[in-house]
Amino acid sequence: MRKNRYFGRFALTVLAAFFALTFLMPTMLTISNSFMTQSEISANYGKVFANVAGSDGKTYISDSVNLKFIPDKVTFSQYVSVLFRSPDYLLKFWNSVILVVPIVLLQLVIASITAYGFTRWRGKVRSFLFFFYVILMLMPTQVTLVPNYLVSDWVGLLNTRWAIILPGAFAPFSVFLLTKSMRRIPVSLIEAAKLDGSSEWQIFKDICLPQCRSALYSIAILVFIDYWNMVEQPIILLPDAEKQPLSVYLSTINTSEVGLAFAIATIYMVPSLLLFLHGEDYLVEGIAHQGSVKG
Amino acid sequence: MADLSLRSVKKVYDNTVVAVQEFSLEIADKEFIVLVGPSGCGKSTTLRMVAGLEDITEGELYIGGRKVNTVPPKDRDIAMVFQNYALYPHMTVYDNIAYGLKLRKFPKRVIDEKVREAAEILDITELLKRKPKALSGGQRQRVAIGRAIVREPQVFLMDEPLSNLDAKLRNQMRSEIIKLRQKVNTTFIYVTHDQTEAMTLGDRIVIMRDGFVQQVGTPQEVFHHPANLFVAGFIGTPQMNVFDGRLVREGSRYFVELDGTVRIELSAEKEERLRKCGVETQPVKLGLRPEHLTLTDSGNAVCAAVDVSEMMGSAVHIHVSACGKDVVIVVPLSEEEDGDAIPLGTPVRFTFRGSAAHVFDVETGRNLEYPIAQAPEPAPEPPPTELPAPVPVLEQVPEPVPAPVPAPEPIPEPVIPQSVFDPLPEIPPEKLGDPFAEDGEEG
Repeated sequence: MRKNRYFGRFALTVLAAFFALTFLMPTMLTISNSFMTQSEISANYGKVFANVAGSDGKTYISDSVNLKFIPDKVTFSQYVSVLFRSPDYLLKFWNSVILVVPIVLLQLVIASITAYGFTRWRGKVRSFLFFFYVILMLMPTQVTLVPNYLVSDWVGLLNTRWAIILPGAFAPFSVFLLTKSMRRIPVSLIEAAKLDGSSEWQIFKDICLPQCRSALYSIAILVFIDYWNMVEQPIILLPDAEKQPLSVYLSTINTSEVGLAFAIATIYMVPSLLLFLHGEDYLVEGIAHQGSVKG
Repeated sequence: MADLSLRSVKKVYDNTVVAVQEFSLEIADKEFIVLVGPSGCGKSTTLRMVAGLEDITEGELYIGGRKVNTVPPKDRDIAMVFQNYALYPHMTVYDNIAYGLKLRKFPKRVIDEKVREAAEILDITELLKRKPKALSGGQRQRVAIGRAIVREPQVFLMDEPLSNLDAKLRNQMRSEIIKLRQKVNTTFIYVTHDQTEAMTLGDRIVIMRDGFVQQVGTPQEVFHHPANLFVAGFIGTPQMNVFDGRLVREGSRYFVELDGTVRIELSAEKEERLRKCGVETQPVKLGLRPEHLTLTDSGNAVCAAVDVSEMMGSAVHIHVSACGKDVVIVVPLSEEEDGDAIPLGTPVRFTFRGSAAHVFDVETGRNLEYPIAQAPEPAPEPPPTELPAPVPVLEQVPEPVPAPVPAPEPIPEPVIPQSVFDPLPEIPPEKLGDPFAEDGEEG
């Protein structure tokens, strides 16, 4: 009986390890390949990229793809090229930053104020508005792209960064998450603050926001990752290639720069990864709390 | 420090649920008032209206002579201690206490002085750097009190502040509050459902039920002169025994008859009050406190059989069956008596003094010793869930009951038959049977 239990546990561990490695493999491959020379990468993936590019003139070196994790010779040349010899890359990186950072900040500010409103004031209008928010939240980005395009065009924001920043700043999901979080704050705390002499703004700033820290972190991480990786919005709303973010630029790298692509992808992952590692506990706490709260 | 005046205050929620009705009360400066009553009686709602956390539907509220019906909580100069402490979890104890002062823009040096002084009073100086989650229930309660006293408010409100504590800590904190009251010396309004807290803390007690004030008075007044059956039952532990009896008037004298066999003359003070009210012979609800019943061998006594006896240390609580009811008799023990358990079924007789009998109207439950205008109207049964038709203005309860506490009669030594405390080895336990067994079922 005990033997069976141990075997079951062992089998489960092996299965979990297998899935973990499978999911980690692309990331590991990207990172390890970014330290390979261009010729080594071509030798490993030559056929794949030649076929993808569809250019008959290119020669390939091997018939099969060679998923290689350990480079023959470790080199930083790809990184040197990206960081010091390719101004395009830095420009796109900066484009990503100036699109995503305002979206995250504005969304945190707007969502927290809206959520505070939904939490503190009750009534039929509030209930209807909140329901409306939830419906909007269920709509995928692709559905809202066309209306966003039309509105941006109408107000003359098309091909400006505001065409992406403004719709991004008003996000129903963040409002929903923060409302749930704020509703967990005991009413007596708000009443105690009132008796202490707090104004509504002070209650929001001093009492509510600090207690929603985990939800705020969760939103910041999720929104950052979401918009850091956006592709459709910039392609449609920001046709000017000069203004497009790194996420769009990555997809345009050609076959001759595969090594460079691995280095760029690795650097591209760093901000999201750092943010996630920094706020991992908050992210888990913030999302877990929402699950345990009654509607 | 300030006096308070609540004038015909009423609270209705959503135009349907009436929480507080016609609440009128004058609270003197530095007085300690306790609002007490069962859950849902409106005591917390009343307190929250004083705090400004609930709007007043009707009536007027004055603090220090200023009408404050529409004044926001922060401008009423009051502080409140909540049942769940309501400490800000992200702030340290120091910041929790200092927060109100910071908002009022006190200089840092003054804030520091006041916080440390309050911490000293409450013995929490060593906790100032901790967060609330690192404190025990009692410590959190002290911090909550510290946050309130540091502002030196005109009125101190406490909403069941001890109900989250265990029994031992509650007793300790209760005496701490009594000490604190002497140090702070301001007006207190304290809400509780625990009548022991009410009796030990309050200068005056307001007993509420279903939104109505039942009686206002000192602890002695509400204990010795309950305005109605509800107050009589609510105040006092164990609860007052209530019998179906008969009040008999013979000229200027009044007797109570119980069980058709017992006839006791009421005390002169009670007779005087009943005469003034013109009370005639009638069936009554007779209220007798367990500690006022005495076991006796005399003939003018109620026969009963012991159900259970509970040894409480300084007294024995004997539960007996008499007049078709479960009756509790508290028998105080002297140092020599060890209060052995009394076997089930032991026959006993009990009696009472005329000064200890309370006579209530059978229908309304009103104490017949007080005129109708003074006694509170009984709360509607069941509690109103809809706005009732305008009710006649409720006459305020005796406030305080003008009659002095009756001069204590010489208390006779309770005549307790020695047999009550004698063990009965001659009755084998198996012959006593199982009190919980079904009819015909043994052991």
